Amino acid sequence: MTALIELDQLGKRYGGITALDRVTAVIDGSVIGLLGPNGAGKSTLLKALLGLIPYDGGARVLGLDCAAQGGEIRDRVGYMPEQEALLTGMSAVELCTYAGELSGLPRNEAMQRAHAALYYAGLEEKRYQPIDGYSTGMKQRVKLAQALVHDPEILFLDEPTNGLDPRSREEMLDLIAELPVRRNCAIVLSTHLLPDVERVCDHAVIMHHGALRFSGTIDELRGARGRDSELYVELKADAPRLAEALARAGAGCQLVSPVLVLVDLPAHATTQLVFQTARDAGLQIRELGVRRESVEAAFLRVLGGALPGPAPGPAGAPR
Amino acid sequence: MSAGQIHDLGYKRYVGSRRSLGTRWTVIMRHQVAGAWKTWWRFKIWLIAGSLATAVSAGILYFLSGKMFRLFTAGNGQMVHIADGILPFSTAVYCKIGFIVSLTISAAVIAGDVQSGAFTFYFARSLRPRDYVIGKIVGLSIVLSLIMLGGPLVLAGVRLGLAEGQDDLIALLPTLAKALAVGVLGTLIYAVVPLGFSALVTTRTYALAIWAAYYMLIGSLAQGLGFITHPAVAALDLSTALGAVARDLFDVRLKGAADFEIPAGIALGSILVHIAAAIGVMLWRVRSAQQRGVGGAS
Repeated sequence: MTALIELDQLGKRYGGITALDRVTAVIDGSVIGLLGPNGAGKSTLLKALLGLIPYDGGARVLGLDCAAQGGEIRDRVGYMPEQEALLTGMSAVELCTYAGELSGLPRNEAMQRAHAALYYAGLEEKRYQPIDGYSTGMKQRVKLAQALVHDPEILFLDEPTNGLDPRSREEMLDLIAELPVRRNCAIVLSTHLLPDVERVCDHAVIMHHGALRFSGTIDELRGARGRDSELYVELKADAPRLAEALARAGAGCQLVSPVLVLVDLPAHATTQLVFQTARDAGLQIRELGVRRESVEAAFLRVLGGALPGPAPGPAGAPR
Repeated sequence: MSAGQIHDLGYKRYVGSRRSLGTRWTVIMRHQVAGAWKTWWRFKIWLIAGSLATAVSAGILYFLSGKMFRLFTAGNGQMVHIADGILPFSTAVYCKIGFIVSLTISAAVIAGDVQSGAFTFYFARSLRPRDYVIGKIVGLSIVLSLIMLGGPLVLAGVRLGLAEGQDDLIALLPTLAKALAVGVLGTLIYAVVPLGFSALVTTRTYALAIWAAYYMLIGSLAQGLGFITHPAVAALDLSTALGAVARDLFDVRLKGAADFEIPAGIALGSILVHIAAAIGVMLWRVRSAQQRGVGGAS
């Protein structure tokens, strides 16, 4: 089966600046977070994938060569830009119909799909109003609809929740999360907002200074340290007593609350040690799990920045 | 279940054929024509003004066709009938209307698209810079041609209708071709050249200002300098250049002012250079916008 995106020694230089440094990766998944600080090379990567700029090495999207088949790729890929990119003096329906026609759909088909895409984006009756009077949230929805109208197989979303209030942000993330199911299309989400990635992505690609630093599933990202010996234990009561008992057995313990304790198991020990210790102490365990880093912590670690410890408690547990 | 989900129930991926890459400029062309037609003040009112000018010229042509022009002669010095002279002189009126329409629909197009981020919208799709440029040029040319080409062709038709017999009609047939040539040149001047100016800057207001300043101030200055130095200098004024080409095609001269007449070749050259330069600037701007426009901040 063809991978969504294949990069082979992909490189791009602007004068003396290396925007992409021989990136090699096979990227797959249904919602992929493309992460990296400013200047990481995310925009250059998107341009290369859309076949808009020349580059060194190889890049393929849906099995198509980005350098030679950029036009075909752009017919099969949707792009929701971060910045304002809507034509003025049109209604949302007119704009999306125009977008569909520019992507090669016949006029009637483009119009039908424009209505469907705007319904999907939640604009419904407002779709007949001029875009000029839309709020930021509505404009974001139109941008999503115009990227969807030609039925893309992959959707590139660039900071889709930028400028949205919390409620609109949640709604936008819901729409994004449902896209793979309702529209059978994969998502590449380029964003700075790591909670957004944590909320909707199943894969992540992390770039820094033009180089690929990580590519894999979110679980791999958060569990990349391989420390399944780091646990959180929630009890009905009396966590300090369990902490003391485990410490006597050689485990590292950190008390978070009267009912929650973080445990670092000693070498070769398993979770059986926790269960046995709790049983011996007459304590009842409510929940036990492997502590995972938050995406934010994992991101910082991958970038080589601050290396915070695992997120405490159930909040850092796998969903 | 939300309305969107209900709407989704009939959703199927599109598997039909797509318009070929080479014809997508027609979508932009249609959009440009529809945009111009949308409001009264941008085009329709000026089309009415152009139609009125054509009607008045046709009336003059019909009622005064046998009269002679006093101010103008043919190349051989003979007097010219109004019927034969009205068409080249009507271009001056069409040029004024064409200039106004260029301000309302052509002069801010590319700057406006840069300003609104529309290039990202366009080039995230399978469009090439030349598709965009051709679509805009053809679309605006269709709109402008209703005034700049339609008027002269109607007048040429009326002139043919006033022919005094079959031989006269056959002799007058080249009038249609000449009207067509003048109309096409006029259309391109007011569709393409302002588009070129709109590609020079990235703000709509500045684009309008520099086109207006070039057309009116530089044009007037060139006309003045043409009188003082050499008539060819006046060819920088596009309406004057078009008038010179039209007068040459219809063989009409300003009486006693042959020294001030711009050579038709130079006038035509000036028009063509303006058009070519405008297309060059457009392609440069659109190509660079294509590469810069997609991606945004990282």
